[in-house]
Amino acid sequence: MLREEISRRLKEIGSADILVGIPSYNNADTIGHVVRAVQAGFAKYFPDKKAILINSDGGSTDGTREIVEKTMIDDFEHLLINQRQTLLSKIVTPYHGIPGKGSAFRTIFEIARGLGVRACAVVDADLRSITPEWIELLIRPVLEHGFDFVSPYYLRHKYDGTITNSIVYPVTRALYGRRIRQPIGGDFGFSGRLAEFYLAKDVWESDVARFGIDIWMTTTAVANGFKVCQAFLGAKIHAPKEPSSDLSAMLTQVLSALFMLMEEYEDKWKRVRGSSPIPMFGFQFSVGLEPVHVNIDRMIDMYKLGIKELGDIIREILSEESFDGVKETVKSSPFSIDDELWARVIYDYAVAWHKKVMSKEHILKTLTPLYLGKVASLVIDMADSNASQVEERLEALCVTFERLKTYLIERWD
Amino acid sequence: MKDIIIEQFRSFLERVAGFLPNILIGIVLIILGLVVAWFLRVIITRAGQVLRLDHLSERSGLVQILHRSGIKEPFSRLLGKLIYWIVLITFVIMGLNAFQVPAVENILSTFLLYLPNVIVAGILLFLGYLFGNFLGRAALIASVNAGLAVSGLVGRLVKYTVFIMAVAMALELLGIGKDTVLIAFAIIFGGIVLALAIAFGLGGRDAAKEYIDRMLKEKQEKKDEIEHL
Repeated sequence: MLREEISRRLKEIGSADILVGIPSYNNADTIGHVVRAVQAGFAKYFPDKKAILINSDGGSTDGTREIVEKTMIDDFEHLLINQRQTLLSKIVTPYHGIPGKGSAFRTIFEIARGLGVRACAVVDADLRSITPEWIELLIRPVLEHGFDFVSPYYLRHKYDGTITNSIVYPVTRALYGRRIRQPIGGDFGFSGRLAEFYLAKDVWESDVARFGIDIWMTTTAVANGFKVCQAFLGAKIHAPKEPSSDLSAMLTQVLSALFMLMEEYEDKWKRVRGSSPIPMFGFQFSVGLEPVHVNIDRMIDMYKLGIKELGDIIREILSEESFDGVKETVKSSPFSIDDELWARVIYDYAVAWHKKVMSKEHILKTLTPLYLGKVASLVIDMADSNASQVEERLEALCVTFERLKTYLIERWD
Repeated sequence: MKDIIIEQFRSFLERVAGFLPNILIGIVLIILGLVVAWFLRVIITRAGQVLRLDHLSERSGLVQILHRSGIKEPFSRLLGKLIYWIVLITFVIMGLNAFQVPAVENILSTFLLYLPNVIVAGILLFLGYLFGNFLGRAALIASVNAGLAVSGLVGRLVKYTVFIMAVAMALELLGIGKDTVLIAFAIIFGGIVLALAIAFGLGGRDAAKEYIDRMLKEKQEKKDEIEHL
């Protein structure tokens, strides 16, 4: 449902070839840079295409929308861009529905459909490392190579993206058989027809409308046979958030979307065995990343507290074997949760969610301390590893998830 | 003498004859109630299955709450049973009323006036039990995720507070020792707060010191910089 003024504006614009959407909420500090990068990307790589930039805002009070409206690149010469974009439009609009990134994306999809756009991209408003090249890498595979979905591939610190590394990547890969390294990366490219497909789904009142949108977009594309690839975007650096402030809520929303999708595509993932790589676009390089401080003792304390206080609840969720394994880890020295136990725990949670052994929110929220335990275990494990060793370590974790998929299928029904 | 006896006997027979139709109507009403209640139970249960009420109640989490309270029946059958008893009780009351016996009528009117209170009190207790369990567990999980060492205590405190409140409300509704319940409630809560204050201030001085030290230390400690997503 687009606002009347937006519908009018779309009629004025008529149609567009490419679109980049930026969801935002109080991103005044960073969004100017993102808008400039998008404009430069349009001008440098797609000067002859009719392009549109959409800012879908969640009611910012810090002037985010005003900044997007005002930001324009005047001096293209210094960017070594000869041909200035002449066909660029910009729409700044608030979105409706449940507050969250998913609702912001829904507005972007609706505008894409309204303008008959061929290729779209969405990028976060708090990015500090975005460059004009990101726009080319996310859009060109769709526009010229026939792909429907471009997933980002970032260089990240070995301790960052732990929900992705320890749960979402291994589970998605084991379930659907495609090695999409950053399924919840946040910055994606997709075709106009995939945007229409997304819009036809009735998910906009669920957790998909919040943090779950990223995994939902990726899984929907893969499970429905859309052509997917990855784009190497380099380092992902964005404005600092409140560390760990709402970890439990984030984990709940991402896993709720992941498990909901497991139910929706049950007949598809049950048939898949093993996994295969997907094409990667972009010039790959390595970068030095700023060190990340981790308080391992605090994580282990949280894990132990969780086992002690939530033991009776967790026992109802896990299989007997997994629960015994989890209890054993409390005594381990150095602290460790092995990959096999972790894969069983995650699969047990998926099954408990599917079988509704108790309130779904309670099921997912009891995972937070267990997750912190696995993060602590991985941090201890990878303390001296370089980037490629870390990838090897995660590869071993993924292979374990693939191997134990039969365990999931047996318990699922 | 003979006439008097005959007169009395005739009068008795007349009264019995006058009363018999009432008894008959009462019995017919009760039997009718049994049939209607049975019929409605079957209809409601079947309609619930057709309208997928069992599925909906499962999705909304209601079934899990009932399971935890020891009720294992499907929601549609439960609803059918509830309707059955409501209809049957209504017909039984109508049937007993039809007897037109003043003593029975008096008992019935007293019972009928009190019955809603009993039903509402029962529902209050049931809901108090369910909410107490649910909120207690939610509080326990939230406090563990916040890293509180006293999570178990928080969970239990929430659970029993909700349940005690439900019991107090139910007793007040039944008119059982209105003032006593209120005073007892105030005394118990006042006592708990005082006990906690004394325990924390005297008995738990060291624990309190350790807790505050840890809080201050945590504030000074460098926070995790991990980006989980």
